Amino acid sequence: METDVLIIGAGPAGLNSAYEIASNGVQTVIVDESFFPGGQLKQQTQYFNNLPRQFEAQRGITLAETLANRLHSLPVTMLHKHTMIGVYKDGSIGVSNGESTFPIKAKKVIVTTGAAEETCLFPGWTLPGVMTVGAAQILMNRERVLPGKNAIILGCNSFSQEVAQQLKDCGVNILGIIEKNTSLGRESRERLHSDIPLLLNSYITRAMGRGEVEKVFINHNGSEQEWRADLICIGNGLSPILEPFEILDCSFTNKEKLGGLLPGYDSNFKTENSSVYVAGNAAGITCMGGVLLTAEIAAADVLRHLGVLNREDAARQTTYLWKELLRIETQTDSEVFYARVASIQEFHEKNNIPLPTSFHAILEEC
Amino acid sequence: MDKSTIVCRCEEINIDEIETAIKMGASTFDDIKRLTRCGMGPCQSKVCMNLVRELLSENLGKPLKEIPPSRMRMPLKITRLGSLVGKESSNNVLSVFSESSLEEGEQQNE
Repeated sequence: METDVLIIGAGPAGLNSAYEIASNGVQTVIVDESFFPGGQLKQQTQYFNNLPRQFEAQRGITLAETLANRLHSLPVTMLHKHTMIGVYKDGSIGVSNGESTFPIKAKKVIVTTGAAEETCLFPGWTLPGVMTVGAAQILMNRERVLPGKNAIILGCNSFSQEVAQQLKDCGVNILGIIEKNTSLGRESRERLHSDIPLLLNSYITRAMGRGEVEKVFINHNGSEQEWRADLICIGNGLSPILEPFEILDCSFTNKEKLGGLLPGYDSNFKTENSSVYVAGNAAGITCMGGVLLTAEIAAADVLRHLGVLNREDAARQTTYLWKELLRIETQTDSEVFYARVASIQEFHEKNNIPLPTSFHAILEEC
Repeated sequence: MDKSTIVCRCEEINIDEIETAIKMGASTFDDIKRLTRCGMGPCQSKVCMNLVRELLSENLGKPLKEIPPSRMRMPLKITRLGSLVGKESSNNVLSVFSESSLEEGEQQNE
């Protein structure tokens, strides 16, 4: 199979960059391992308010439909139940549908593999009844199965707070949110619900039970308490999914604020491999607005290299998108934006590429 | 923490086994993998990679960012051999398999 642009992953970043590219008449193929497009949006019933201007505030499940439906009349081939498993010598991407494996040759590849949830180590974490907050959300909103009756949420962040509220709305008794830090970030403070107990300076020392979670021991301010619970939801944050990047000859960098290890990329989200781009949470953990905008920045540079956009138009568009990214990311967590800019500066220095003049205006805003 | 706590649930490797490997000189995730089979099960270290990196960081007294990730090789996802070699009998790997499985008196397939 041959195409102009190949996108790995049909989550919000993949779908949004596909729209930007294919609406210019450029042939695009999207590979996704799931049955339906939308990635993690498929079970996210929470509202996303802080989106790029062309999107109204909407629930994740609606946003998945919005993003997928606008591709219908465009030159986009969607390969569901297909997985990228490797790279051929000539740079073609090896894709498998479980039955056979075939190469897809593309002029440009955008990797939008998203992020994976991190777990947390404590004795008993492998018992049935312990899962990540994302897994609990899939059970609840996609499979329509209540994951438990009495739940403990481990880790206080916007996502775990959101899922705690959704579990509560479905009738699950939330015993409390356990947070190891002694204070909360601004966003978590603003989201705090008074009807869900929050224990700061706390951690789980052990979970026990016969075949499943029954008892949970919690260290709160240095003293141990015993709680009866059948569900522990771990909200230990996200980290970018990295598997495709090493075999694509991309370099890695490390930024704690962006979720730890991530591929290095320039101010257009192009990696060390000049035909490979990265966008969305795979380029550093961010808010939904950031996921969508990074996809548009990558798409603009792809269009320039394919000769669809001229240099001036691409530069104008990229400057606008970076200002939007600055606005949206700093509204949610400005440190994410600064970490991203620092990582880009390091990438340009390391590879001896001058930063584009349009980017200097962004640097001055920092 | 209890040293019998599982870190790699696919291969059932606990903290004690990982710390023993570190005492034997392991300093990266791949070292631990080669010594213990940690990360070699169905999830291919998707769950335990960062847990092991954190244990390495604590035990070696190094910052987490200095502990490299595992080597990420092809195939990136669990893949059936059949889907790699294809269905045609002309394919090298498959034709070797079918030759060796021929019983006496059986006809070679086209």
